[in-house]
Amino acid sequence: MKIYLPTKITSSIDGYELLLRFQNDLSQLQNTTIEISFLNIQWFEANLVAVLGAIIEYLESKGNTIRIVEYETFIEKTDILFRNKFFPQHRVSTDRPLLDSSTQIPYKKFKDYEESLYNDYIQNELLNNTDFPRHSTRLGREIRRSIFELFENARTHGKCNYIHTCGQFFPTKKKLNITIVDTGKTIVGNVQEYLGKNKNSSDCIDWAMKMNNTTKTGDIPGGLGLGLIFEFININKGKIQVISSNGYWELTNGSVFYTDINFSFSGTIVNLEFILKEGETYRFHDEPIVF
Amino acid sequence: MNILIKDIIHSNFAVSTDDGDKINRVLNDRFIKKESIILNFKGITLLTTSFLNAAIGKLYSNEKYTSDFLNTHITMINVESEDKHLFSMVIKRAKEYFTNKDEFEKNSQDSIYGNN
Repeated sequence: MKIYLPTKITSSIDGYELLLRFQNDLSQLQNTTIEISFLNIQWFEANLVAVLGAIIEYLESKGNTIRIVEYETFIEKTDILFRNKFFPQHRVSTDRPLLDSSTQIPYKKFKDYEESLYNDYIQNELLNNTDFPRHSTRLGREIRRSIFELFENARTHGKCNYIHTCGQFFPTKKKLNITIVDTGKTIVGNVQEYLGKNKNSSDCIDWAMKMNNTTKTGDIPGGLGLGLIFEFININKGKIQVISSNGYWELTNGSVFYTDINFSFSGTIVNLEFILKEGETYRFHDEPIVF
Repeated sequence: MNILIKDIIHSNFAVSTDDGDKINRVLNDRFIKKESIILNFKGITLLTTSFLNAAIGKLYSNEKYTSDFLNTHITMINVESEDKHLFSMVIKRAKEYFTNKDEFEKNSQDSIYGNN
């Protein structure tokens, strides 16, 4: 069967809902050849292929075979999905010469035990990327710290098959977007299990985003990673969006907004937007380490 | 004893829980032998709370490792000034976490066996 991707995929609540609806429409299919058509697409925010990659993983886990079709018109508009390696990884090829630009952090998926490969990936694709806008060591450090805290959070909480990630930066706008998606246990499931209460999905995400709140048990304390990202994004005036199950949560311009949405995702999507302009990077100052 | 973190985790990124666990095991091994330790962060270009929770925070799960004990047995060197606040957060969090964990377990015991 053939299914058409929505015309506009953006990192807005509507854009996520369209992608989740797309997954929902296909969720009953098993052992079927599914053709995903790019014919109608006018705009696809490149880093969100991490979400599409996770949807494809979900469909393949049910014995379906996925083919990407009718991509020619889309390629005429932009070659970004070739440059970020999403198309080549899904057996789409082209003879066209690609733009000589490396503003993309390629689409890649990682197993939960591949944290050292993820380190290499960030080192090679972000730190060693000569096209990445110039910024201070301090700002770069806080951005990378957020990315790693998030990856580690997905790795240790999600119990997932793969973590899908993709990024894009915009040299003139001085922005970096990076999306990390896992298809394991949702934040909502973890929080409901931990608190033993029937909170709304978006309330669960809001609980998990607060400093010191964690669903981790055992001998390793947790509850700082997401809170730390939250604080940094707030100061950086960037954006963070979290979609888990049918909960949507975002922090933009210092304001938190959360709501339940109409469709559900069987995992967690986190989209981060960093502003690559210098300013205050952290409130904390040099302090002695005392146990 | 001087422990160079990057030699143990084979990376300049001290970011994962697994690598933090490696450091925690080294600390435990040395403490059993009553040794004091210098934890050397030279060459570590990135540090996360995920790493520190496992390396340092986990120490507070052992009642023998009081703040006094840790202050006299661990010295940190070559920590970037921008990273120092992470230690404070992790240590504060670990103390709270294990205090509450004990209380939770105590309450569970009380509800099972009664507290007379």
